Amino acid sequence: MQKAHTVTSGQHIEISAPLISLARQRAGRGLIIAATLGLAVIILVQSLYAAGTITTGFANWRPVLYAYVLWAVALGAGQVMVRGEAGHRALFLLPALLFTIVMVIFPTFFGIYIAFTDWNLSAFDPPKLNGLDNLRTLVNDAYFWNALLNMVYYILGVLVQYTVAFGLALLLNADIRARKFFRVAFLLPFMLSPVAVSWMIGKSLMEFRFGPIATLMRHIGWESPAFFTTPWIARLSIIALDAWVWIPFIMILLLAGLQALPREVQEAAKVDGATPWQSFWQITFPLMLPVSVTAIILRIIFQLKLADIVINTTSGGPGGATDTVSSFVYREYRERSNVGYGTMIAEVYLILIIIFISLLLRFVSRWMQRENNT
Amino acid sequence: MKLELYNRMAMNRRTWLKGTAAVSVAGVAGSLGAMTTTANAQDNLRAQILQIPGVGKGSPTDADWQKVGEMCLAATKTNVKEGEFKGVELTFMGLNNQNLHNLLFRGFLKPWETYTGAKINWIDLAQADYNARLQQSIATGTVDFDIIEMGAPFEGDVCGKGLASEMPDWVKTQIEMDDYVGYLKAPVGTWGGKTYRISIDGDCHTFNYRTDYFADADLAAAWKAEGHEGDFAVPKTWQKVQEVTKFLKGKKVGGQDAYGYLDPIKGWGGFGFYFLGSRATAYAKHPDDKAWLFDVDTMKPRVNNPAWVRAIQDVIDALPSEPADQLNADPGTTGFQQFLAGTGSMLSWWGDIGSNAKTSDSSVVGDVTGFSILPGSDDVYNAGTGAWDKLASGPNYAPNMAYIGWGVYVMARVDADPVKQKAAWSAAAHLGGKDLSLWCSAYPSGFQPYRQSHFDIKEWVTAGYDEAFITSYLNSEADSYNHPNAAIEPRIPGIFQYYSAAEDELSKIWAGGSTAQEGADKIAAAWEKITDGIGRDKQVELYKASIG
Amino acid sequence: MTQPSDGSQQFKYVGSRVLIYGALLLWAFVCLFPIYWTISTSFKTAVNVTQGDIIPWVGRFQPDWKGWRSLGLSPDTIGQISTVRDEFLLRFRNSVLVSVGAALLAVIIGSLAAYGLSRFQYRFGPWRNKDISFFFLSQLILPPVVLAMPFLVLYKELALLDSIIGLILIYTLTVLPIVIWIMRDQFDTIPNELEQAALVDGCTVWGAFFRIILPIALPGMVAAFILAVVLCWNEYFFAALLTSTNAKTLPVMVASQTGSQGISWWSMAALSTAAVMPLVLIGIFLERFIVKGLTAGAVK
Repeated sequence: MQKAHTVTSGQHIEISAPLISLARQRAGRGLIIAATLGLAVIILVQSLYAAGTITTGFANWRPVLYAYVLWAVALGAGQVMVRGEAGHRALFLLPALLFTIVMVIFPTFFGIYIAFTDWNLSAFDPPKLNGLDNLRTLVNDAYFWNALLNMVYYILGVLVQYTVAFGLALLLNADIRARKFFRVAFLLPFMLSPVAVSWMIGKSLMEFRFGPIATLMRHIGWESPAFFTTPWIARLSIIALDAWVWIPFIMILLLAGLQALPREVQEAAKVDGATPWQSFWQITFPLMLPVSVTAIILRIIFQLKLADIVINTTSGGPGGATDTVSSFVYREYRERSNVGYGTMIAEVYLILIIIFISLLLRFVSRWMQRENNT
Repeated sequence: MKLELYNRMAMNRRTWLKGTAAVSVAGVAGSLGAMTTTANAQDNLRAQILQIPGVGKGSPTDADWQKVGEMCLAATKTNVKEGEFKGVELTFMGLNNQNLHNLLFRGFLKPWETYTGAKINWIDLAQADYNARLQQSIATGTVDFDIIEMGAPFEGDVCGKGLASEMPDWVKTQIEMDDYVGYLKAPVGTWGGKTYRISIDGDCHTFNYRTDYFADADLAAAWKAEGHEGDFAVPKTWQKVQEVTKFLKGKKVGGQDAYGYLDPIKGWGGFGFYFLGSRATAYAKHPDDKAWLFDVDTMKPRVNNPAWVRAIQDVIDALPSEPADQLNADPGTTGFQQFLAGTGSMLSWWGDIGSNAKTSDSSVVGDVTGFSILPGSDDVYNAGTGAWDKLASGPNYAPNMAYIGWGVYVMARVDADPVKQKAAWSAAAHLGGKDLSLWCSAYPSGFQPYRQSHFDIKEWVTAGYDEAFITSYLNSEADSYNHPNAAIEPRIPGIFQYYSAAEDELSKIWAGGSTAQEGADKIAAAWEKITDGIGRDKQVELYKASIG
Repeated sequence: MTQPSDGSQQFKYVGSRVLIYGALLLWAFVCLFPIYWTISTSFKTAVNVTQGDIIPWVGRFQPDWKGWRSLGLSPDTIGQISTVRDEFLLRFRNSVLVSVGAALLAVIIGSLAAYGLSRFQYRFGPWRNKDISFFFLSQLILPPVVLAMPFLVLYKELALLDSIIGLILIYTLTVLPIVIWIMRDQFDTIPNELEQAALVDGCTVWGAFFRIILPIALPGMVAAFILAVVLCWNEYFFAALLTSTNAKTLPVMVASQTGSQGISWWSMAALSTAAVMPLVLIGIFLERFIVKGLTAGAVK
């Protein structure tokens, strides 16, 4: 029986590589060095041209991009020539790696630079470095800490979403009629764009005066169903809206996991006379842990970026109760053109997230290993 | 910012038939390009374009926009030869809010393109992205447009930085700039004595109220019974607005809960601040002082002075008497989902509310809405002396010229090429033409009247409007535009940064997180920081330049 | 003795069925009603919106083509020339190109990387597989707004502003992590004895991948592809920032329906409906591929 959705380690193939001729190795190294030199020269020329030191160069940096692509091809070919089998293996990873690096290397460094400047788009003077000022402002910024606290609530909301999604996945996995219909229906909310969701649902369906949900609530007995005016109700409403969009995503992952479960195990449990409740907790749930962890972690990462719905539906109000870090950054960055400070918030947030996610992954993997051992 | 003034207007069949006849004549005349410019022909033209597609005949379509553009081409033809701009390509950046703005411009400019031979590429933006997109383009040197539709508040960012092209004199003549209403004339649209802006819109907040409330005998009796001073009447001052709002709490009108003034509490990307401004100008804008938001010499914010704090406190005091969902109501909600749908009795807004009141399907207040300029105040704060003055002339009025309307600007990057420069200005002038703008102010376009010639009530009545209604509506606008103590928005760079920062703090105040004074002090502190970030000396200089 | 037991069994069975179908129907309603609301709103006039009318042809709510007319997509305008419809179609075409292009690119390079990470031990300096995986994942974490300025500058220098290629590249970057994550799970569940055998038979690593693994993992790739298309299709932020006239996409047009005059509910609903239709069709016709695809890796 295969039980292998492990998060941190896969199965690894080890085979011995055949010997590679020295000449081929030398040619391969030569190719890589030549390509690297070529790329370096082009970058250098273009930099000098851009800096105004020399007068010949390209109109823009596009040719450098082409040079990078050529270099990447040469690097790949060189790898194969030098390292043979190992080079072939590296070729699997290289395209994605080189692509990601070239896309993010400039934005990352430029972003870090921006984070330490006083850049305001409306300012007359060019941006200048201002040391740790942005960081100091951040530490004293009540809006940031408030938003960060809200993120904790939103993350807890993910667990609720997970519970509901698990329930739905179990229902869909049960022996039911019209399964196809229900599956499609349950999937659809995921397809709507956040802009449309926040307007058509947040501002229309949940509208205080004419929204059907508000009307329904009035019938149930909530006298003034204002979904976005008191802090906790507003927060819960946002979580509900967000859940509506994202539950299908978790549900699909879980459903796929459920369908991959070997039937025999559950059959066996039934024969043993376990109640459905017992068989769920003792068999299904533990078996589903790896998938669950994947789903929850992906979901948490998306949740940490929650912004669109909040911006459109509440603008972070009332009094900051629904503000997220991202929506705060949006305001700082887009409405106030405060690029330097906005970027600093985001960089700090990024670091916090990376720490949080790595801890989470470590915690989860340890925990999963223990599960595996039992 | 005007919408569907014309829709569903009562119009008898005979006028309509006359209208269609006129259109077919006009179509022929227009396509021949043989329009004379005698006074009579001009009047005819204006009457004719007002019949496209005809008031009450459904929304104008692309074909209608093109027809209007074609008929208003005479002014262009006097300055530009046919095919003169062959091979010129221009890029136009503007909004496409609710499928208006840019979509109309496309139709209007299509005949212009055909005649001049130029081609226009379009960048459409959502309003929410507009500021960010513009600022980023400027800051990173990616200005990729030749003509831009822009609100006056952004002039500081664009004209103040020398990115706009100065208006040639022939354009000034072609668009008849003398016709602008008072407040749109210089210094608005100019920087350092140079003119940059072709106005295509006028903006100000006016006061909208429910006439049925103030004619209600039961309410009047209750008002007397509770011992209020004077008769129960439309408030002329904010003091009265407050009193009436609190009085109405718990009362019923026509079987429904009665509410007074409606404050938009939720932020609106900076635009929400205009509504606090409308409450504050009567307190803060002294007739002897042009400034009301910042001190002119130092850019010291006045937002935490007693006048503004009083306005903020007014909102806090009024909130318990307003509807239950007010905390999440942005200006769109107060205007379109509350006031027009029959909730609340007093509201400050741009002209849209007035035009929609009568014409929108969702409006239930068409026959019971009245208009006036914004309420005044019994006393006004004098920032110079720190005292509250009572004016000899009575209450102080200071209509809030919020946003100052849209304009069309040409970017400096066309100046290098004289043909392109002329083409860009010719296209812009076509959109800002006197006759074309009449059509825009009468039909859904996103724009309001902004020329003296737009306030000829006869023209509107001939076109099919109800006289009493249009008179009341146009007067409230004209009186605001031409008011000697109008509070005109500072056209300094980054003005929306100030508004956005203020909205954040205000949101806390409304939710009970801080008192009016504390919150206002925080806003002032944030504003000082923004001023320093942008550059204080330069801001002071530009502020002075913009005030004139 | 059997009689009562059967009865209660029967009762229990019926009860659980009722419960199951009740829950299913309830949730289906929760999912479908907002979508129904959106579609029906596209046929409303202002009064139906503010009165919250729900069912067409009952009372006030007489369906009207107003929203669709504003797009030039109603029966009476479909034959006419309409600049709005041209705009919509251009953006629609761009949205298709961009999301399919980006999803394809991401699935290709993402699957390769995922396979590599699943099967081989890499070492780049101090980096091992785990670190490389995390590096990819971390690309998912950054709030896009931070990348706005840097990407604007970068794209300006690379002359990629307002180009479909530029948009495809950045969307690929944003969906790549999730594709890698999903595909690595897929490959992890395919037993490696399969390739071992092929390798023993003299296949190269790539030969084994293409001939043995790819066919098995294909459904998983389809699922990852669909998820990527959905995520790209609705992306708004970079589309608004990096495009102007040539490469503009649909979500920006949806957002444009709001503004200073409140909101044209009917136009927004019509646009949302039209914009989401391709995805709904994907949902209806390709749904089984999504779940099957994500499951497929677990074959024994």
